Amino acid sequence: MNRSQESPSLKRKRPEPNTHAQSPESVLLNLIKSKGDMGIWKGDMKRETNLPEPVVNKALKTLQGKALIKEVVNIKSKGRKHFMAAEFEPSKELTGGAWYVEGKLDQEFIAVLKDSCSKIIRKLKVVTAEGISDFIKRNKITTIECKTHQIEEILKSMVLDNEIFEVKSTGLGEYHSIPIGTACYRSSTGMGLGQGPKIGAMASIPCGVCPRISRCTPDGIISPKTCEYYKKWLDF
Amino acid sequence: MVTQYGIKLSVSLISSYFGNLVAKVCECLLRRGTLSCANIVRFTELNKVQVRNSLLVLIQHNCVQAFSIQQEGSFGEAPKVVTQYMVLFDNIIHHMRFPKFLAYVSEELGKECEDILEGLLQHAEEETVVKKQGAKSAKVMKESETIEQRALAAAAPMEALRFLVETYTETDCCGEESEGNPLPSATVGEKRKQSDLELDTEAGTKKRRKEVLYANFEEFVRCLRDKGCIGNVRTRLDDGAAIVLSAILKATRSAENKVKIENSVPLSMDTIFEEVMKSEEGRSMTLERARASLVQLGCHLPEIGIDETYSIDLKSIIELAQNEEVESIVLKRYGREAYRIFRLLSKAGHLVETDKISNTTFVAKKDTAKILYTLWKDDYLHMEKIVTYGSKQSQFLLWKVNKHTLWDNVLNEMYHTALNLRIRIAHEQEQEKEILRIPREKLVGELAKRYARLRKVRIVLESSLMKLDDAIMLFHDF
Repeated sequence: MNRSQESPSLKRKRPEPNTHAQSPESVLLNLIKSKGDMGIWKGDMKRETNLPEPVVNKALKTLQGKALIKEVVNIKSKGRKHFMAAEFEPSKELTGGAWYVEGKLDQEFIAVLKDSCSKIIRKLKVVTAEGISDFIKRNKITTIECKTHQIEEILKSMVLDNEIFEVKSTGLGEYHSIPIGTACYRSSTGMGLGQGPKIGAMASIPCGVCPRISRCTPDGIISPKTCEYYKKWLDF
Repeated sequence: MVTQYGIKLSVSLISSYFGNLVAKVCECLLRRGTLSCANIVRFTELNKVQVRNSLLVLIQHNCVQAFSIQQEGSFGEAPKVVTQYMVLFDNIIHHMRFPKFLAYVSEELGKECEDILEGLLQHAEEETVVKKQGAKSAKVMKESETIEQRALAAAAPMEALRFLVETYTETDCCGEESEGNPLPSATVGEKRKQSDLELDTEAGTKKRRKEVLYANFEEFVRCLRDKGCIGNVRTRLDDGAAIVLSAILKATRSAENKVKIENSVPLSMDTIFEEVMKSEEGRSMTLERARASLVQLGCHLPEIGIDETYSIDLKSIIELAQNEEVESIVLKRYGREAYRIFRLLSKAGHLVETDKISNTTFVAKKDTAKILYTLWKDDYLHMEKIVTYGSKQSQFLLWKVNKHTLWDNVLNEMYHTALNLRIRIAHEQEQEKEILRIPREKLVGELAKRYARLRKVRIVLESSLMKLDDAIMLFHDF
C-alpha cells in the first residue's frame, strides 16, 4: 500500500538528479573539483571513475568547452595532461612555485632580481632581506609583487654563488640599525669576495679541471708530455 | 694513508734528487711499509751494498727513520735485534718545498739566514755546520768526521739511546715501535747535538729556525699554516681581522705543541692588543676595532668584561679554505650551477632531496638531476635512494657531500697534478736542451726567442707548482 503510494514519487524524483550525476561529464567535474588546486591527471581520472578512455576524452572536451575546467602544466611530469576546475589556481607543487612560469623556470626574472639585490646591497652595505624587499617596493623596481621570503630565496642563492655573504648583526658600527643576532647580508669587505668565486690553485692548472686526469699517466697515451691542454696553456 | 699519486710523486722527487737506485728503495718502503734491510734486498732485488747506501742517503736527508725491534730467538737462541726502516713520506714531499722555506726565511729573517738554510737544505745536514763556520778546510774535516761519527755511534749505544727519545718525540710518525737505536739514526742525533752546541751561541730565533730541520720541518709547516690562515682571513674578511689573527698566532706560537690544532691557545684581550700594537698596521687599531675583528673571526664577546680571553677556531678557517679550493675545482669542471649546488650541499652537511636542491639553487629540475648525477658519478657526492609506499609509490633521491672520501680524492689528484707539472718541466727542459747548452750571449734571433719562451714556461709551471703545493699542505699538513 505504502509502496504503491511512494514508488511513483520515487520514480519521478530520482531520475532527474541521477541522470545528471551519472553523466560522465558531471562525474568527472565532481572528481576534478574535489582535487582542488592540485588538479588531477587524466590517467588517474580513468582509474578512479572506471570510465573508458574515449568517454573521458569526450567529456573533458565538453567541460573545457563550457569553461568549467582548464588544463594546467604539472612541473613534475610535463607530458601528462593535467586538469583542474576553472575556479582554482594551480598549487605550488604543480607550478613549481613562484619562480616558474608555465612549467619553466623564469630565469630572466630571477636574473633581474639578483642584479637589483646586489646593487641594493652594494648601496646599503649591510641589509636584511626585509630591508631589500622594502627598498624594492618603495622604489618600484619590479612591477611584479615580490614577497620578503622570495627575496630571501634570491639572497640565499647569491650567497651560494659567493657574490654576497650572510652575517649575524653585531649591533655595532655598520650594523647599528639592525637588531643584534638578525641575519643580514653584505657584500665583501675583504679583497677576494664580492667578485664571485675565487679560483683555487688546482683550478688554475689544466690538470685541475681535466676530465681525463684519471687516465693520465707519465708515459701513457694521455701524458703531461703530450697533453693538448698543457700545449694551449703554455702557448706564448 | 699515503695515496697512490702521493707515492708516485715522492718516488719522482727522490729519483730526481738522489737517482733511481735510491728511488727504488724508497718506493719499496712506501708501498710495503716499514721493512728490515734484508727484506728490502729481497723485494728490490738490489744487492746489499746498494740498499745500504741508499738507506744511508735517505736517512741522511731525513726521509727514512731507522729503529730496532727485538725479535724472540728460536729455541736455544738469544733474542735478535733487527733494524727496521720506516719511510717518512711527509719529509720527502717537503723536499719540493725547499724554495718556499727559503723564501720564508729570507722574508722573515733576512738574507744571511737564507744562505745558511740553503746550504743546509741542499747538502744534507752536516754541511750546514760547515757553512756556519765558513771555512773550506772545515768542510773536508767535517765530512771525514761523519764517517767517524757513525763508527762512534755504533760503538756507543748509550749515547744513541739518549738521542733516540728526542728524534721520536719530533717525528711523531708511527710511534708504536721504539727500543734501542740503530746506527744511522744515531748519526742524526749526533749531528743534532753538535749543531745545538753551536746554535746556543746564536740568536734565539735562529736557534729555533735551525732546530726545525731536525724537528721534521714542523716549524716551517706551522709558519706556512699561519701565513695561509692569515692570507685567507685577509681575503675573506678584512685587514683588521688579519692583523688580529696574525698577532694572536705570533703570541701563541711557542705555546703550540703540534701543527694540527683546532683552536689557538686562549689569550687575554690585553695580550692580544699588546701584540697587535707591535705591528705597524696594528697601531692604528682601537680596542673596539680589535674586538670587532675578533667577532669576525668567530669569537664570542663575553657578557661581562672580566677575564676576557679569546681563542680562534683555526680548524674552521682551514676547513673554509679547503672548501674554497674544492669548490673552485667544481666550478671550473662542472660550471656555475654545479658550483651553486655543491656549495649548498657542502654547507648543509647532511642529505638533501633533489627538489629541495633545485628550489634553493634556482636550477631547473631536469638540469639539477643531471648535474647531481654527474657529480655523483665522479665521486663528489654521495646518494641515497628512499622509496615510500603510500597511496602512490614514489622515490626520492637524497644527496650529500662526503667530505672524508672526497678530500682524499682531491689530495690524490693534487699529487697527480704536482707530478704532472714536474714531468712537464723536465720535458720542456729536455726539448730545449741544446739552447741551454749555448752560452746566453750567443743566443740571438730565433734561439733567443726560444730561450725566452722556455723561461716563461718554466716560470708558469714552477709558480703553479708552488701554488699547488700550498693547496697540498692545506689538505695534508695543516
